[in-house]
Amino acid sequence: MKLKKWFKPFESLSKRDDLLIRSIWFLVIVGYWFVATSGIKKLFPSPDQVWKGFAALYSEGLVVHIGSSLWLCLQATLISIIFSLIVAYSYPIPFLRPLPKLLSRLRYLPLTGITFYLTILVADARSMQVWVLVVFMSLYFITSLMAVIKDIPEEEIDHARSLKCSRWEILWEVIIKGRMDYVIDVLRQNLAITWMMLVTVESILIAAGGLGVLIKNSDKFMNHGRIVALQIVILLVGLAIDYSLTTLRKSVFRYSKFN
Amino acid sequence: MLYEKKDIILHVEDLSIAYGDKVIIQNVSMMEHDVVREGKVQGQTIAVLGRSGRGKSTLFRGITGLVAAKSGRVIIPDYSKAVTDGLQPAKLVAEGDVGFVDQKYTLFRHKTILDALLFSMRNTNLSGKEKLEKAMSYLVEWGLENVKHQYPNELSGGQRQRVAIIEQLLSSGHYLVLDEPFSGLDVGNIKNAKASFDLIECAHELNTIIFSTHDIELAVELADSIYIVGYPKKPEGGLDTIGTIVAHFDLKKMGIAWRDGFDADHLELTNEIKRVMLES
Repeated sequence: MKLKKWFKPFESLSKRDDLLIRSIWFLVIVGYWFVATSGIKKLFPSPDQVWKGFAALYSEGLVVHIGSSLWLCLQATLISIIFSLIVAYSYPIPFLRPLPKLLSRLRYLPLTGITFYLTILVADARSMQVWVLVVFMSLYFITSLMAVIKDIPEEEIDHARSLKCSRWEILWEVIIKGRMDYVIDVLRQNLAITWMMLVTVESILIAAGGLGVLIKNSDKFMNHGRIVALQIVILLVGLAIDYSLTTLRKSVFRYSKFN
Repeated sequence: MLYEKKDIILHVEDLSIAYGDKVIIQNVSMMEHDVVREGKVQGQTIAVLGRSGRGKSTLFRGITGLVAAKSGRVIIPDYSKAVTDGLQPAKLVAEGDVGFVDQKYTLFRHKTILDALLFSMRNTNLSGKEKLEKAMSYLVEWGLENVKHQYPNELSGGQRQRVAIIEQLLSSGHYLVLDEPFSGLDVGNIKNAKASFDLIECAHELNTIIFSTHDIELAVELADSIYIVGYPKKPEGGLDTIGTIVAHFDLKKMGIAWRDGFDADHLELTNEIKRVMLES
């Protein structure tokens, strides 16, 4: 092991060295956490406080709350992705093209204005949570899916044309079937934003529970140990979703080699 | 070298192509006949040479019907119609009539090789079993049997090129346009590509390959007809900025087509082509 190599720009390291570097950084951060929170005055809660917060959350039904958040996300994601795909796939059709373009630009619209109209349209609070997420997610999904479509090289379209594909066949073969794996990746990237939105959306209906409700309650009582424990849980669940989607993409679509 | 000229197999008549207001090529005319050699199945191999940016790729997009002509037309025989009065009816080229393999050997990224070949025959009247047999016979003949269940990104450059060629042959029939088929290939793959040319040429009398390359020697060795795309000289001096055919060399007429290997006559022609290209 040559330590000099660790500090040389663009140097390739062995897997062992790579693991070692990651372990060192992990220990540094955890060590710093222990040291920085050992005194009387501290900015963050200590690992002990966080652990206690985690134990308390677990006994209060953390798993059920995680399940509630995941269920909310799943419902919103399914509706959103179906709607977004229909809108995005209309992009190559000249007459319909203004629709995805407009919806993509609406992502700059503040959510507050939209929730007012949703309140009038939607009957119950749970549906309200779902639809706020659907509106929010869809605008980002449409933007990302449009980017995927726009990035398809002209050669791929020409290739399909040279094989006597009709324009609808090109849409089906090149855009829809040919980029199915990208849809999963778009979903993965945008779920990170949605996952962050949970706190806001879940506060609409406290009774339905969820990680957002837990974090809001903990915040109200300034229980920082619980807050950090929850943040870690949210981060880990988010990373697990991210990993699952990447694994799903690579296992279902063998040809999908990016990332 | 005895040969006989039969029907016209490709007629490019005063073709001009523009992207928006920018004219890329103008007044391009080409005419090629079906060539018959006694005792041998002989397809046609046409090379299009020219310096970068002169409009070779645009000409190819025009010949394959992938871009609409600003003026002029591309005519090919319509073999779906019966011969009348000793003449084969002709038609304007349309998308898919002429196979096209681009420089990147583009394939469907989500289809395995076998699936791609079966897809390219989807409009034929063959039964499922016949399609499979035909695809398999090509895969065996072109040395791709072992990769039939692989995706394009799992193949080498040479394998991708062969798949792209077969796909177009199965879909389009006799015509195949290849944009720089030898670029980015190593010595072994160039040898394989040359072998592919032989396979196509010997497979059917009407098979016609039109290709571009920057390797003049290779073009002279392989082609029986060579067109040079370049900028023509302006009467007042200097060069125009719109591409057209500036020279045509009929190697059959010159008696140097279909020879085994590259010889002194080929070298002489290579030097002549270089001169024409540098002046256009």
